[in-house]
Amino acid sequence: MKLGNRERSLLGLASILIGFLFIVLLKAQGAAGSQVTRSETAVPSLIQTEQANQQLSDDNAKIQQELDKYAEGQSVSGLANQQLQEAKMNAGLIAVNGPGLRITLDDSKSVSKGVDANNYIHEQYIRAIFNALWNGGAEAVSVNDQRVTTNTEVFCAGSYIQINGTRQMPPYVIEAIGDTNNLSSALNFYVWYQLGDLQKQYGITRKLEVLDKVIIPAGKLRDYHYAAPAKEGT
Amino acid sequence: MQRWKRSLALPVTMVAIALGLLISVQAQTQKNVSAAEKISAERMTQMKSVLSNSQAQNTKLLEDHRVLLEKLDEARKKVGTDPQLLAQLVQLKMLEGTQAVEGPGIQISIDDRTKKAPFPLSSDDIAKLINTLKFAGAEAISINGQRIVGSTAIVLSGSSTILVNIMPINRAEGIPYELDAIGDQDTLLDYFSKLEAPGLKQSGMTVSIAKKTLLIPSYKGAYTFKQAQPITS
Repeated sequence: MKLGNRERSLLGLASILIGFLFIVLLKAQGAAGSQVTRSETAVPSLIQTEQANQQLSDDNAKIQQELDKYAEGQSVSGLANQQLQEAKMNAGLIAVNGPGLRITLDDSKSVSKGVDANNYIHEQYIRAIFNALWNGGAEAVSVNDQRVTTNTEVFCAGSYIQINGTRQMPPYVIEAIGDTNNLSSALNFYVWYQLGDLQKQYGITRKLEVLDKVIIPAGKLRDYHYAAPAKEGT
Repeated sequence: MQRWKRSLALPVTMVAIALGLLISVQAQTQKNVSAAEKISAERMTQMKSVLSNSQAQNTKLLEDHRVLLEKLDEARKKVGTDPQLLAQLVQLKMLEGTQAVEGPGIQISIDDRTKKAPFPLSSDDIAKLINTLKFAGAEAISINGQRIVGSTAIVLSGSSTILVNIMPINRAEGIPYELDAIGDQDTLLDYFSKLEAPGLKQSGMTVSIAKKTLLIPSYKGAYTFKQAQPITS
């Protein structure tokens, strides 16, 4: 079809308009998209800075208090010992007791079903339970009388699980001190139900007891060969 | 004047109507978008000012902290606090995580945003990686600036936010996950590259490990004991 001059110019105008509209639309879309990511980055860093500030001002208040005590001429060794005791408690180097939970996990006893991965308690179950307990506000956790501290590994090494550098065999008895209601409800998560299913199907043991008194032993201090206290920053 | 062809009249009219409609809708959208942009920009500036406020406060607090620590050092020296006791205190604070530490170690960067990775890194995956680093004897570990301590819980909140020490660690820009571990560099590198890196790569993620001198920040949370009573033996 042959187009006259008039048609051609109209067509051109229409094309230009459509192109213009299209670009404006794209721009609007782009602007709406990028806005989201920017505020997403700002929120976590704001929360973190606020938290750091909180800790710093607490810390500063503590130091100021200590300085005041020095100025008053209080018993110096008493003060240092008190701090030491506090740090030991935080680090899990003091045996504690209190109300809590006891969770017992054991491999399946039914040999008739043969060797099946689902007959055994795996390292990740234990780790997942620790995670849930801490999340539920546990104050101290142990497994087979090994205190769970900063450095505690739960590493499967074939026939045994290495915990705190020691060989642990089933049954795994996990104990935790804390608010028993909070701890129990924190356990209501995926792995706990998975263990329940495995108990029904394969005969592993998953047992939960709520106790008035649980005793959790002290952890061990470690030496540092590589890490040194930082001079700057927190 | 040239005569229009009859057959063209209908399509041209329709096109004209459609174009007119589009233009008016576009104008309306543009207006809405600019209003939204304005609100969003306002929010952004407010957020930025709150953030910069809090950062300024942070700098001031850090300075105060440094001054106070110096004073404390002096006071301790003056009254003659046992230096062995102080060294023990620092060691304990490193263990409980409230002391920032520096030293040689490895930095692991994991990118799970690649097209080849069908699933993003989960909280269980992170727990496993950290467990392996502990197994390799790491003395201090952090993920995206959060120090790992005994009571650290790593949980998924909502559909994609990962909380470590009850802090969101997701990043919108840069490498999504950065794990720092201080310890024997060769052992850490060996264990991690043999035990964890292959699995991560197999699930399509990009992993890079670098030996570095690292600064690992302190644990910012608080330890509280309400139920646990110390046993005095």
